[in-house]
Amino acid sequence: MVAFPRIRNFFGKLFGKKRSRVGIYGPPNAGKTTLANRIVRDVTGEAVGPVSEIPHETRRARRKEGVEINSGSTKLLIDIVDTPGVTTKIDYHEFMEYGMEQDEAIARAREATEGVAEAMHWLREDIDGVIYVLDSTQDPFMHVNIMMVGIIEARKLPVIIVANKIDLPDAAPQRIKSAFPQHPVVEISGLEGHNMDELYAKISEVFR
Amino acid sequence: MPHKCTKCGREFRDGSVEILRGCPSCGGKKFLYVSDRVKNEDVLEGKSIEKIAEETKQEVLEVKHQGPATRPTDILERVESVRIVSKGKYELNLERLAESPDIIIGMGDDGKYMLDLPSMSKRKANPKKK
Repeated sequence: MVAFPRIRNFFGKLFGKKRSRVGIYGPPNAGKTTLANRIVRDVTGEAVGPVSEIPHETRRARRKEGVEINSGSTKLLIDIVDTPGVTTKIDYHEFMEYGMEQDEAIARAREATEGVAEAMHWLREDIDGVIYVLDSTQDPFMHVNIMMVGIIEARKLPVIIVANKIDLPDAAPQRIKSAFPQHPVVEISGLEGHNMDELYAKISEVFR
Repeated sequence: MPHKCTKCGREFRDGSVEILRGCPSCGGKKFLYVSDRVKNEDVLEGKSIEKIAEETKQEVLEVKHQGPATRPTDILERVESVRIVSKGKYELNLERLAESPDIIIGMGDDGKYMLDLPSMSKRKANPKKK
């Protein structure tokens, strides 16, 4: 099955068809939008969307088309899809802890739910590969991560796991590596831009 | 004094919490409290458990279905894609959302569902498109 996307990609290139669409998934506040912004800014100088410390800032999948990833001599054209944080429970009380009004928090919960459902539907048909982003300061064995990696594996999508936020003092990217030994793990800081070259090299290798 | 499953005769030591979920061997829900003196009579003398119950005049203990423990709490067994627990509180069934286009909304906590029929009647996107 590994060869299949490559063959499709080869014919795609031959006949000028669609590029690989890479979805950035992960739990809320893992730094998905920061990473998407970093990649897109590195390449085009633009941004994908706003970031916030309040979970579920991204409530609709956002797409940036035709992002050219250069790594050494290889060039790869991809579409980046930034998705809402994936979770199994959404409760408006969580947003009120950040000082949000009740009505606003309830509306945010509803939008976030729609956004996660939409992101999961994208995974079914529209995504060719996944960058799964994790916060290195958090426990990687959270139920949602195990479940999501399982779903991605079941759909036979190529995946890169990103151990993000390595600029923080209590970051422990090694935990992520031992949690998912079956997948490539790249340690980065999307905020500071550490180690992005290694990520671009991995993207060129895994999603080509 | 041990308990015995009235259906299959499996023995459980006194105070065993296993039987609260029913007999692990046969799923039986009725248990008889037997004294050590008579506990092997079903095997040794071929008596039925009912007969032992009759003779010892012990009441048969029936285990009722446990409320929360036997409810399908596992999200994998759930039929809904999204459950609206209450206003602004949601539970998402990620596996179901990833594998099926059908949208089933669970309402509250008491087995109410809403089915989004258009999502179920939609044909799969043209496979040639991919």
